[in-house]
Amino acid sequence: MIFLLTGIYGLIFSLHLPMGRWTEPGPGAFPFGLAVLLSFSGIMIIARTKTKKEEKQEGKTREFLRNLITPLSIVLLTLAFILVLERVGYVASVPVYLFILFFGICRYKLPLAAGMAVVFGLGSWYLFVKILGVQLPLSFWGI
Amino acid sequence: MDVFGNLLAGFQTALSLHNIYLCFIGCLFGTMVGVLPGIGPLAGISLLIPATYGLDATGAIIMLAGIYYGAMYGGSTTSILMNIPGESASVITCVDGYRMTQKGRGGAALFISAWGSFIGGNLSILGLMILAPLLANFATRFGPPEIFAVLVLAFLLLGSLGSGSFFKTMPMIILGMFLGTVGMDPLTGSFRFTHDVKDLYDGVGFVPVAMGAFGIGEILVATEESLVRIIHKVKMRELLPTREELRASWGPIFRGSGLGFMIGILPGSAHVLSSFVSYAVEKKLSQHPEEFGTGRIEGVAGPETANNSATGGAMIPFLGIGIPTGPATAVMMIALMIHGIRPGPLFISEQPQIFWGLIASMYIGNVILLILNLPLVGIFINLLRVPFRILFPLVLLICLVGSYSVSSSTFDLLVLLGSGVLGYIFRKLKYDLAPFILALIIGPLLEMSLRQSLMRSAGSLSIFWNNPITLTLFGASSLLFLWNLITALRPKSTWKKALEEE
Repeated sequence: MIFLLTGIYGLIFSLHLPMGRWTEPGPGAFPFGLAVLLSFSGIMIIARTKTKKEEKQEGKTREFLRNLITPLSIVLLTLAFILVLERVGYVASVPVYLFILFFGICRYKLPLAAGMAVVFGLGSWYLFVKILGVQLPLSFWGI
Repeated sequence: MDVFGNLLAGFQTALSLHNIYLCFIGCLFGTMVGVLPGIGPLAGISLLIPATYGLDATGAIIMLAGIYYGAMYGGSTTSILMNIPGESASVITCVDGYRMTQKGRGGAALFISAWGSFIGGNLSILGLMILAPLLANFATRFGPPEIFAVLVLAFLLLGSLGSGSFFKTMPMIILGMFLGTVGMDPLTGSFRFTHDVKDLYDGVGFVPVAMGAFGIGEILVATEESLVRIIHKVKMRELLPTREELRASWGPIFRGSGLGFMIGILPGSAHVLSSFVSYAVEKKLSQHPEEFGTGRIEGVAGPETANNSATGGAMIPFLGIGIPTGPATAVMMIALMIHGIRPGPLFISEQPQIFWGLIASMYIGNVILLILNLPLVGIFINLLRVPFRILFPLVLLICLVGSYSVSSSTFDLLVLLGSGVLGYIFRKLKYDLAPFILALIIGPLLEMSLRQSLMRSAGSLSIFWNNPITLTLFGASSLLFLWNLITALRPKSTWKKALEEE
């Protein structure tokens, strides 16, 4: 499905680009060709998948969904962290992010999770900013 | 200057205290990455890219190469002692390596594995320093049609020899190439698929995509598994192999060196493939093939030597003509590009201090790794006691900071997360991500060479068969494509099945 959707997207938007001539291909020609191939691949893969057995599909789906909970929680939490990082700053947001990971996802006890979040959060700031010289968003108190 | 003169100059560069330190850090980190299941060499190299920003290009590539071949050494440790491959190239080592541990010969398996890796690694560097300059010299005759023909053949080889089936790998290559078209068209200056998002004007960042797909993707998959780890302890005196074990290992070590080096040059999962092929060859040549799988030293010596030897082979097309044939070399290419250097046919002649410095550092790195992986193996085993619950939040954090530090952009973080999700989905669906990343990096070069060729020939396709180089390359590509069509209809070979399952 990813291939098909990307292919359709490519077909639509590459048509907005100049195709050029055979003697001088424009910027749209190559992506258009790739989009055609992607759409074709997507259709072929979907068709092949449909023909396969669907017997254990239900059990597999349930297991897949159960396994999905942890990765999905991590992705959503990381998304939230990315969205607040520049507004709140690194030093203020990282310990909170790590605390939720350690406490909510890794299931550490609250004091241990809080301790590790502060130690690793501030330690990472020291490593990246002070030792490696990486520029990270500043927090309210200027660090 | 001759090879020895160049190598001497390379040692002068590599033996500076700063570069020895970087080589050591790379080897140390590589061994750690190899030992830890769930974090592969690609994730390791991606994670350390941000740490190279403050270094010169020579120091950066020395450190990253150290991670690359260091991970090959470290990967065998967990395979032998715990039956868990630290990285994919050590999957086959589990078969006989772990059986040896159960019989109390784990120490000897570790010794032979490290010794074979050392010999294989050094022989492949010897091959690299002889062949890469020759290939680069030959490639200076290449114009756009020849580059296009080489890339088409490389992509078809990648599809054929990758860890997935041809018809599963090719869509990944096309997807990677499509993503590579995002941003400003280098020939006309038009913006493609940018939707007025300024962060996309320079294209999709290689670093966030590679770190996301390999780093975050691996972490997301690993969080689903609970790793039960039974660690076997190894004492120093148990490390020494018996005379019979040593005698039985010489043949597999030298055969593994040759096989690994040759397979390493080919695009795709060269390390995995070389170890599987080496195992199959040793089993075939053995007088007691039925004993393979019960703890034969040949089943450890051959594959472990081969996957290390493949490292030197994989560097030849990358450093000789600027075409990375594996994901690890592709990520190293990203690091060089960040430092304003793009490997190509002129790389060795224009940047001899980087090339020969790297070669010399690889010899030094092999000695460092032998020390790290034999007397100090116990320290690395203790790494496995660090719970994964502590490790993965820290790896996530390194990915986020590493990606942000490239351009201080939140957009890159979103690309990182998106690539992580994509990497997770593709892993679950058993698609190989390496071709995707390779195509993203070298796809723009393929497009450029195609368009330049057509412009040069006024649209005539005869430019692609007018000279013997392109004719040979396209002939080989056509045969390869036909072969793939035919084999798609046939039952799969054992190693192909194993690669896909792995």
